[in-house]
Amino acid sequence: MNEQNRVKINQLPTGVPGLDEILGGGLPEFSFNIIAGSPGCGKTTLAHQFMFANATELRPALYFTVLGEPAMKMLRYQQQFTFFDAEKLNKSVRFVNLSQELVERGLQGVLKEISQQVEAASPSIVVVDSFRTVLRSEMHDGKDMAVQTFVQQLALLLTSWEATSFLIGEYSESELRDNPVFTVADGLLWLFQQVDRNSVVRKMQVMKLRGQASVPGLHTFRITEAGLQAFSRTLGLLGQRKAFRSVKRLSTGIPALDEMMGGGVPEGDSLLIAGSSGTGKSLMATQFLAAGIRAGEPGIAAVFEERPNEYTARASEFGLDLQTPLANGTLEVIYLRPLDLSVDEMMQEILDAVKRTGAKRLVIDSLAGFEMALAPSFRVDFRESLYRMILALTGIGITILSTLEMSETFTELLFSSYSISFLTDDIIRMRYVEIEGQLSQIMMVVKMRRGAHSREIRQYKITTDGIVIGERFRNYVDLITGIPQPLASMRSEEFSPNRKI
Amino acid sequence: MLVDTHALRSVCDKLGRPLTTLAGAAGFRSLLTRALTLAKQESPVLCALEVQADGSLGGLNAEVAQSGAVLIAHLIGLMITFIGESLTLRLLHDVWLDLPDSSKKLERNEAR
Repeated sequence: MNEQNRVKINQLPTGVPGLDEILGGGLPEFSFNIIAGSPGCGKTTLAHQFMFANATELRPALYFTVLGEPAMKMLRYQQQFTFFDAEKLNKSVRFVNLSQELVERGLQGVLKEISQQVEAASPSIVVVDSFRTVLRSEMHDGKDMAVQTFVQQLALLLTSWEATSFLIGEYSESELRDNPVFTVADGLLWLFQQVDRNSVVRKMQVMKLRGQASVPGLHTFRITEAGLQAFSRTLGLLGQRKAFRSVKRLSTGIPALDEMMGGGVPEGDSLLIAGSSGTGKSLMATQFLAAGIRAGEPGIAAVFEERPNEYTARASEFGLDLQTPLANGTLEVIYLRPLDLSVDEMMQEILDAVKRTGAKRLVIDSLAGFEMALAPSFRVDFRESLYRMILALTGIGITILSTLEMSETFTELLFSSYSISFLTDDIIRMRYVEIEGQLSQIMMVVKMRRGAHSREIRQYKITTDGIVIGERFRNYVDLITGIPQPLASMRSEEFSPNRKI
Repeated sequence: MLVDTHALRSVCDKLGRPLTTLAGAAGFRSLLTRALTLAKQESPVLCALEVQADGSLGGLNAEVAQSGAVLIAHLIGLMITFIGESLTLRLLHDVWLDLPDSSKKLERNEAR
């Protein structure tokens, strides 16, 4: 059928941030949907958010409660959410208790009462909560046919009356097969609540949605005082990538390092600073942000190991004023340490901050802290999630600097842990070396995807003015092992008459 | 005196309608029974009163009706406990459209 002859299915906003994107634009109007999941996973709250986002006095929402949570208690708890609008109660949003109909007259009594209410109110939205209890009352003694007939009659009624409807039920995944309810439904949204060690992770899946393409897979969501917020697993990946006509170089705030990098960090790159504790990774990240602010490029710092005020206070010790840009909105410091975070939530925070500030630079300090803040189940997928996040953020033109703490060995030089070096365009390695009985620091540009860079191993110092890069160590070999040898002693050994060949 | 018993019955019926819709007949009956228990402690004359299976009041007479306001106050008090003053006033306003100053009182409370 050509496009002109095709019926246009309107999509309704769900009122749940992030869910419309997962559904493929919104919920199809007049669809007959099921919200399933275990107790306490947010089914009722999701239905309420949809109701309050869409119901009007002319086309209200009818919320039928049946042998589940009484409406009085539902109102008591749901009014705690910010989306709850008391003005709409009994006008746009109406609650009807059907427990007595079910007990006294069974499924047909419930259907009759719903029919009467629907015909009287002409609602745009109908919710039956809990639908499971309605069916359970008759799912015995071979009454499966009665249940199937009831579901079909209800679906027909609600669709005929142009209502978008939700049946809410506590189902387990094992009940998916051969269930007439799931067969009739146009949409099936499953909410999960997974416990992993001490953390709880909430996820949702669109198992079925007729008429449009939803995003497959499990998506994390959170319940806050604003209700549900969903995070699509393709968050930020679906838009167009920003194309750079010419490679602009961003200053790191350390002139000698810019020189080593062939002019600075290429715009839109992901740069990894790897080194052991105390080598100055965070300082370099702070100098990178401060250089951006000076150049009129707003920035974001995602920090996991110190609070925003501690972060700016530490910067001021090196003569870097981050307090002023923080106050005037050209810098945002995101501090997240909930221990059950998902990468998608972090990315949503960053994307929101990018919108607010127009940020061009992002610092993640550090990847180890970020990983620690994730719920254990998300740590398993850290590499994959980090890949998605970096791809999405660099895709909108953000230049990312991440710090990574490395354990130091004195026999080899590791460039990064997690095998994440492939995720980054550029790598700078910082490390300690022992020179003449003293601990010195060296730095090298290990990798730059988009250009030539210095191969030198340079010494550097941390001063009150920040990182100061010195000359190349010319008189030592094996610097990258951490225990270098003076070149002179190597030469004398080479020419020693006692040297065995 | 006949008017008084009618008034109490009428108020209970009017309150019963939104509460039955919200909480079901059994839910309304439970609330009314709890309100009556609390009211009896305050006004022993209400001991003659009982909530019947259908949610109506039994044992209502002129003397009991004099203290009817105590029962209604406790019923509204329970609504406020459960769903808050804001929603309770809105529900009452739906029943008594000319309820004086409910919105102003609400605004004052919210401002406070």
